[in-house]
Amino acid sequence: MRIVKYILVSIFETLLRFFPMPCKTGLREFGNPGPDSPVFLTCNYHLTVERVKRALKGMDCYLLVANSRGINVWCGAAGGHLNNHRVVSVLKTSGIEERVNHRSVILPQLAGPGVEPRAVRKKAGWSIIWGPVYAKDIPAFMEKKGEKNQEMRGVKFPPLQRIEMAVMWAFPLSVTAGLLTSLFWPRMNLSLNVFIWVFSFFVFLAFPLYSKWLLWRKFEFLRVSAFLWGTFLVGLLVYSVLLHSFDGKFWLWWGVVSLLVICLLSVDLAGSTPVYKSGLHEDRFFKVVLDKNKCRAAGCCEQVCPRNCFEVDRSHHTARMPRASQCVQCGACIVQCPFDALWFENQKGEKISPETIRKFKLNLMGQRALGMD
Amino acid sequence: MSSVILMKVLESSPKRYDRGMKILFFGNLDQIYDRLISDIQKGQKVLDIGCGTGALILKAAQRGAQVKGIDINAQMLEVAKEKAEQWGLEQMTEFQEKGVSELDKEEEASYDAVTSGLCFSELSEDEIRYALRHIKRILKKDGLLLIADEVRPQNILRKIIHWLIKIPLWIVTYIGTQTSTRAVRNLPDKIKQTGFLIERMRFNSIRDFMELKARNRKDKAE
Repeated sequence: MRIVKYILVSIFETLLRFFPMPCKTGLREFGNPGPDSPVFLTCNYHLTVERVKRALKGMDCYLLVANSRGINVWCGAAGGHLNNHRVVSVLKTSGIEERVNHRSVILPQLAGPGVEPRAVRKKAGWSIIWGPVYAKDIPAFMEKKGEKNQEMRGVKFPPLQRIEMAVMWAFPLSVTAGLLTSLFWPRMNLSLNVFIWVFSFFVFLAFPLYSKWLLWRKFEFLRVSAFLWGTFLVGLLVYSVLLHSFDGKFWLWWGVVSLLVICLLSVDLAGSTPVYKSGLHEDRFFKVVLDKNKCRAAGCCEQVCPRNCFEVDRSHHTARMPRASQCVQCGACIVQCPFDALWFENQKGEKISPETIRKFKLNLMGQRALGMD
Repeated sequence: MSSVILMKVLESSPKRYDRGMKILFFGNLDQIYDRLISDIQKGQKVLDIGCGTGALILKAAQRGAQVKGIDINAQMLEVAKEKAEQWGLEQMTEFQEKGVSELDKEEEASYDAVTSGLCFSELSEDEIRYALRHIKRILKKDGLLLIADEVRPQNILRKIIHWLIKIPLWIVTYIGTQTSTRAVRNLPDKIKQTGFLIERMRFNSIRDFMELKARNRKDKAE
C-alpha cells in the first residue's frame, strides 16, 4: 500500500514539479533513535522528504526538515531560501538538542551554495557534515562512516531524471495550451497537446545528442532552439511529402505553434539540467578562479562540488581544478572555502568576491554580478 | 544548474515585497501599524521581530522609541536601513540579520515592548513556541507584546468568505510579486499559554486579520 501511495505522490508532484510544494518542518524520528543516533537535515520540499524517508528506512536516526519554502535543496540553497538561518532555526527550535548528546548534523551536499558551516557553528554550536548528493546513497554513506567517493559527490542526468524534467515542462504547458485552444481553436486541442508531450520527451531524451552545443559561450539557447525547430520542420516536411499535401494554413499554424513551444522549452534548457550552467544569468561569463597562495588544501571545495571539478593535492597543500570545464557555477566551493581562495572572475578581470556570493544568491537578474566589486 | 526560471519566480525582492503587501491588504497596513504602536512611548526600548523593510519599526522610531529590528533577509534589511537614513532616524534604529532562533542571545528583561507585523505567519509551530518563550524572557515586567498578523477565521461562514477573497488575491499577488502570507492557527491561545495577559484584540470584519496587545505578567507561569 505504502509503495502505491509513494508512486501516486511521485507522479502527482512530478507533474507539478515547477511549483514549490511545502510540507511540515521540524523533527521526525526513524526506528528507535537514541542519544547517539545520527541527525540528518533536509529541505521541506514534499517530494524530497518522501525520498529521504525511503532512504532512511530501517535506520535508527533523526531527520530535521528545515523551512526552504517548499523548494528543493539545490534551488533552495542557490536561491537563498535554504540558508544559515533556516538551518540554525530548526536545530534550535525543533527540540533535537534535548534528544542527542552529540552536535553534528548531516546535510545534503547540494545545500552547499546556501549553508555555511562556520556560521551555523557560531550561531548554534553544531558542526555540519556534507552527506551525499542523492538520498539513495545515504545507507552506503553511513556504512563507509561518512566517507564519500566521487560517485556520491556528483550530480547526474540519467534518463529517469530527464523524463521528470520533460514532464515538469510538458504538464503546465499542456494545461495552458489546452485552456487556450478550448477557447479559441477547439479543433486543435488534441493535436497540440500530443505535440507538447511528444516534443518535451523528445527534447529531454535526445539531450545527449545535442548537449555538447550547450557548452558554447554565447547565444547557446538560440542554436539549440534553431536545431530543435529545424528538426521539427524537417519532420513536418517529410509528413507533407508522404501525404502529398502542402496546405499553407497547416504549415503556418504548426510553424508558429512549434516555434512558441520550442522557445519556451529551450529558453533555459541548460538551466533545467543539473549538468550545465544556466544560459540566462549574468554569472555565466564568469569562471571560478583559484588563488594557490591562499589555498591551504582544506578540501571543502572537493567535498561540496557537485561536478567534481576539484582535486586536493595534500602533499603540496593545494587544490587543483582538473575538471574546471564541468563547472555549473552553483558557487558552493566559493561559499565554503574557509580561506576565501576562490572567487568568480570574467575575461575582463572583473571579480565577484566570496563575500558577495555568500550574500547574494543566484537569480535571473544576476544580482551577484550587479553586486560586483 | 537547476532552473533559474524557478528561482526568478521565487526570488525574494524587497521592492516587490512592499508592493505585494499593498495589494494583499488594500493599502490598509499603514493604518493598522499606526494603531498597533500607539501605546509606545518616547524613550522606550523596542524590538521588532521580522522587521522586513521597516514598515512597523520605523513608525515606533518616529514616536521617539529606541528600536532594534531583526530579520533573516539581508536585502530587506538594506532597504530598512536606507529608509531609516532618509527619515533621519539612524540614531534611534539598529538592524541585525537574525532569526527568532537567536532571541536567546538577547538580555533578560531588557525591552519595554516587542512588536511583530506579519512575521508569526511565516514561522513554524516550533518557532512560534520558541519565540514566545524568549519574548516573555526578554520583556520587562509589564512590557508589551504587539502583534499584527493574519489568523484563521474560526466560523465556517467566515472561513468560506476568507478563502473566496484570499485565493484570487493570493494568485494575483503571487504572480505579480511572488510574495504571499499564510495564516497562523490559535495564536492568541499560544500567547496566553506562555503567560501573557491579552489586553486588546481587534479583528477585521472577516476575522482573518488580528491586532493584539498583550502584557507580560512576570509573576505567573514562572
